Amino acid sequence: MQPILRVNLSTGEFTDYLIPDNWQRDYLGGASLAARLLYSTLTKGLEPFSPEAPLLFLNGPLSGTAGPATGRFVVCGLGAATKLWAESNIGGFWGVELRKAGFDGVWITGRSDRAVYLWIDEGKCELRDAARLWGKDVYDTQSLVKEELQRKSVHVAVIGPAGERGVSYASICCDHGRMAGRTGLGAVMGAKKLKAIAVHGSRAVPVTDTERYAPLRSQANRFLKQDNEAKALHEIGTAAAADYSEYLGSMPVKYFSEAIFPSVDDISGSHMAETILTGQSACHACVIACGRVVQIGDGIKRKGPEYETICSFGPNLLIADLVDITLLGELCDRYGIDTISTGNTIGLAIHLFEMGKLTSEDTGGLSLRWGDARQVQALIHQIGNREGFGDILAEGSRELGRRFKSEEEAVQVNGLEVAYHDPRGVSGMGLVYATSPRGACHNQSDYFFVDWGHTEESVGVGFYERHAQAEKSANVARHQDWRTVYNSLVMCIFSNVSPQMLVDLVNAACGLGWTIPEMMKAGERAWNLKRAINHRLGLQRVNDKLPKALLQPYKSGGSAGYSVNLDEMLDAYYIARQWDPSTGKPTEKKLVDLGLADIAADLWS
Amino acid sequence: MPAIFPSAEWLKTLEEKLNHDQRYNEIANKWEGELFFIIEPELSLTEELRFYLDLWHGTCRKVEYQPSQEAYPKAAYRLTATYGHIRDILTGKLHPMTAMLTNKLRLKGSMAYMMRNVPTVLDFVRCAQEVTSEVQ
Repeated sequence: MQPILRVNLSTGEFTDYLIPDNWQRDYLGGASLAARLLYSTLTKGLEPFSPEAPLLFLNGPLSGTAGPATGRFVVCGLGAATKLWAESNIGGFWGVELRKAGFDGVWITGRSDRAVYLWIDEGKCELRDAARLWGKDVYDTQSLVKEELQRKSVHVAVIGPAGERGVSYASICCDHGRMAGRTGLGAVMGAKKLKAIAVHGSRAVPVTDTERYAPLRSQANRFLKQDNEAKALHEIGTAAAADYSEYLGSMPVKYFSEAIFPSVDDISGSHMAETILTGQSACHACVIACGRVVQIGDGIKRKGPEYETICSFGPNLLIADLVDITLLGELCDRYGIDTISTGNTIGLAIHLFEMGKLTSEDTGGLSLRWGDARQVQALIHQIGNREGFGDILAEGSRELGRRFKSEEEAVQVNGLEVAYHDPRGVSGMGLVYATSPRGACHNQSDYFFVDWGHTEESVGVGFYERHAQAEKSANVARHQDWRTVYNSLVMCIFSNVSPQMLVDLVNAACGLGWTIPEMMKAGERAWNLKRAINHRLGLQRVNDKLPKALLQPYKSGGSAGYSVNLDEMLDAYYIARQWDPSTGKPTEKKLVDLGLADIAADLWS
Repeated sequence: MPAIFPSAEWLKTLEEKLNHDQRYNEIANKWEGELFFIIEPELSLTEELRFYLDLWHGTCRKVEYQPSQEAYPKAAYRLTATYGHIRDILTGKLHPMTAMLTNKLRLKGSMAYMMRNVPTVLDFVRCAQEVTSEVQ
């Protein structure tokens, strides 16, 4: 891999960091390598908004190689709300451009004494004044930076006003509307007074064996063009299965209290395709193109919402209009806040208002209600500007619950709001949410696909009935390891290539001679490393939990009467993982077997 | 009466089942689309097998066993699978969603329409399983 650019914003110093060869081999890149690189700095007591907190933008060995949906990069650090390991990967073109500029990552520390942006041009770096950008939304900021640099082929990663103001679920955006939405790393960036990173480069993206890689890459992309799942994602976007999810009772409605949404036909990906969709958008070299371009009557072509945004503002808040949902998603994007956490936190507020735990005195006079898109719009403005009641909502659902003595009502795990794949419909997600290293996350393992039937036999991920319990725990663990490989490469989870094809691509790109088990071991190694980081940061077994709402069976819908038995699932999971059942820590033996002897020494000394 | 797959009799039995199964009639009452199946030779199947079903609002209007490759070019869906995978679906060893998501069943046609009608598809498979006495 190429060097990582280290930037100390306190001193303005730039240095090149060369990644040790053995780390490149053992962790590949992306979130896995980031965990190894940041391990020594992520220690108990570190505050996410302190100058010492790191913020690492990192590519993987396949990023930008025009492989199968491999145009992504990842941002890692300490979660703004969770204060645990944080990673959030993002598509677009920025990461690829960084590689073309001669760096595989940017590692930020320190804090600037004024608003700045970082300009990386063909390996040359400069911090520039960002006073006139401060306060601008993510779209305007991208345009203004490009205008100032007078270059068309510049790609800019930015934060919006929410990141500047420390909203705990602030995102980082690039290439118009691509978002690293989860874990609040936009707020970490804002605390450093870093408004944007602009990159431009023209070098070739390094691949060890290009002759071997090129035909494999073509073969993989040809496969993806014929893949049923990829075809559905292209045609109807990530909300392709909204109807099916509702049918199964795995689409949460009215803040996770109901499972039937009568208007599901009006908010599905199919409905979007038949009404407001005008085109698709793609990340670098992606043949799937799951991004939506829509037109909603004002003549402007704009980003259309994906599944999580649709559910967050749709069924979750009982809004049944795709145009409203599109505009709410766009407003979140402009402020730079995560749509999952935003809808979840607003949903909790309405829920608490209904319970009488919140009153209009707390909300600045607002009488909170379901299904009111205008009210949600007003709340998003308040969150983005940290005004009025929005200043409380800006801290996320766990803090909102705590403030009103109702933490148990918040549908979150370890400070990260739950995404919209309900474990009562797809039980594997219960275990995924409870054990994810970054809080309740659907990208550390999109196990809902496995519960629908998407198996991957050659890595040991088989099919278990969607309401199976502890018998699927080991399967969930294997799927987490598999997706950890994806997150190290950094490859989109929609890239449905076979494990053999993937290991062939990795071997050609990295000059390795790995087998599938060796690749899976790299995934398992990084999963355990992230777990060890979290234990050092204070995580305990008791943190492997689900919120109350997810443990209460639905009264109706496709999953009526069912709830996960998390305790039994966890017991089986710890056995499968070889984790200590009393503390939840990876055992010393497991860590040593994975080549993590130094980590074992820290964790068990 | 269940029938042996593959056979023209099996297809006819499936047609009757689809027309008289109350659950299917209800779930599929909005479905409009013809299915053209292509079963690739494998195991005991030595030649390509094709069959066609015209499904309309919870009923089956027409079936044809072994139509020509060129017949029904406007069928809403062309579904292709190996004989082994079809056998596994009919005997319940392979979940139809697994077949779709892992490309064991290859699909040509509107994904938007298919995805909003997954329950119909799953119930169609249930009917097909219930009319299958044996797979040769």
